[in-house]
Amino acid sequence: MTNELPPGLALQKVDERIMTLNVGPQHPGSGHMRIIVQIDGDFIVACDPDPGYVHRGEEKMAEYRNYITNIPHLERPVIHDSCNILYPYVLGVEELLGIEVPERAKYIRVIASELNRCVYTMYWLAIYGIFLGHSTMFMWPAGDRELLIDLLEKMTGARVTHAHFVPGGVRNDLPPNFEDVCLRQVNYFEKRIKEYAAIFYDNPILIARTANTGILSREDAIRLGTTGSVLRASGVDYDLRKKEPYDVYEELDFQTNVLKEGDSYARSKIPWLDMMESCRIIRHALQKMPKSGSVRVKLKPNPKGKGLDSVYKRVESGRGSLGCYIVSDGKPEPYRVKLSVGSFRNLIALPYLLKGEKLGNMPAVYWSLNYWPVEADR
Amino acid sequence: MNTATGIIKALNSGIKHLAIKRFTLRYPEEKLKFVGDGYQFDPSTGVGIAGYKGRHMLFHDHCTGCQLCSIACEGVAEAIAMVKVPEEHKHNKKAIMPQIDYGKCVFCGLCVDACPFYALYMTNDYELSSFSKEGLIYTPAQLQVKPFVSQDSEIKITDRGATHG
Repeated sequence: MTNELPPGLALQKVDERIMTLNVGPQHPGSGHMRIIVQIDGDFIVACDPDPGYVHRGEEKMAEYRNYITNIPHLERPVIHDSCNILYPYVLGVEELLGIEVPERAKYIRVIASELNRCVYTMYWLAIYGIFLGHSTMFMWPAGDRELLIDLLEKMTGARVTHAHFVPGGVRNDLPPNFEDVCLRQVNYFEKRIKEYAAIFYDNPILIARTANTGILSREDAIRLGTTGSVLRASGVDYDLRKKEPYDVYEELDFQTNVLKEGDSYARSKIPWLDMMESCRIIRHALQKMPKSGSVRVKLKPNPKGKGLDSVYKRVESGRGSLGCYIVSDGKPEPYRVKLSVGSFRNLIALPYLLKGEKLGNMPAVYWSLNYWPVEADR
Repeated sequence: MNTATGIIKALNSGIKHLAIKRFTLRYPEEKLKFVGDGYQFDPSTGVGIAGYKGRHMLFHDHCTGCQLCSIACEGVAEAIAMVKVPEEHKHNKKAIMPQIDYGKCVFCGLCVDACPFYALYMTNDYELSSFSKEGLIYTPAQLQVKPFVSQDSEIKITDRGATHG
């Protein structure tokens, strides 16, 4: 038996120029994770993100609950984007059980998930603003987010954890007069987010801070497997709503936003441009939605899969591609549920982006990855 | 755009907000209005009725003690326990009704979806704070009471911005 320590515990050679800093997990700038940075003076030499502090075992928990009781706990990793994290699970269970969803329910789902994407993005934008020292950009998105939370509350009955999507449609129909209220508030919301251009996105102070920091080239973005806004900010036009349309996205009129720069500024601008597209999608969906009809297929009390079967579905969430792999063995409970989340895949790019940056630029680069620690740990 | 005009534009867009109405909801004095009387479920069609998912309301004259709500809560929060009630109902031979622990409830409403007898609804009441853990356990007699809510604030959008009127 040797006395060798495992790789993570082995002592490292000390270089007197290099200092190791632990940013987090208690540091407000890191979220629920630790970033181990090695700095030479003010410049980052190496960086090692260390997630896993908020692991909840969602995937294991899903094996002990049936297809319906899995819904309330599977949305917990991202409570601000709870419709989008349930979306691939619900689509997968529908394919496993062989359920056909009513047309009106599909439109309601698209509207709910687009509203939720905006709610998530506004929360992220508020955090991004405050970590760049822009307090106004913390207050404005946090306030304007209320317009959409109010709509979701009218639709689903809860402000954050909606538990609205079920296999076979949605839990309840829209309340009366919802279309008018939704249209009015979404139009005002779009007018408000356009005002962010002058104070934040065209602000020379912000551009000086974030442009040309943490550049991710097109080749690296593809090689590292990043998704969502990070991938689209590096010039790759890849949006699952266009490439693999689910529900009614192929009937709706929208475009994807692509920027070529690949720096922190582009990565922070893409979600803001996406919110304007979301407003367009919501308006178009409200217009095309069937005015009446069923919204939910009646299921048996304990739905079961048909023997050994597996399914993989993915959707475009606020943070990129969000996949759900479900294996069924013919019992009411799934045999395995695997969530493949965008946050974790984008985090892989962080060591490459931070190398050679100044330590002060770390929050600007880190938060531009659109990273949500709780989702990455699941 | 050069730096000076950019900064002036950014300042200007903030200063404009001095003339815009306040959007903040002054919570304890004003409360948001919700649609309807709370989340309800129609077992004949299998579709819910939109409303806020707050504290439950139990109709003693409908509840048969079938325990379906308690079974629905298993694996979600396990907040519902079936307890003996003193009164006698001929549709409720076992004389058991749900007792809900709001320290555990996640307000998903799956218990309401499970009830086939129109006995369990959710109301607009969300102010459930208590000084003790026992105070969060609502007995069937407490769940029978219709909550008193005064919620009348709505988002109003005018030319001078949105406000909670």
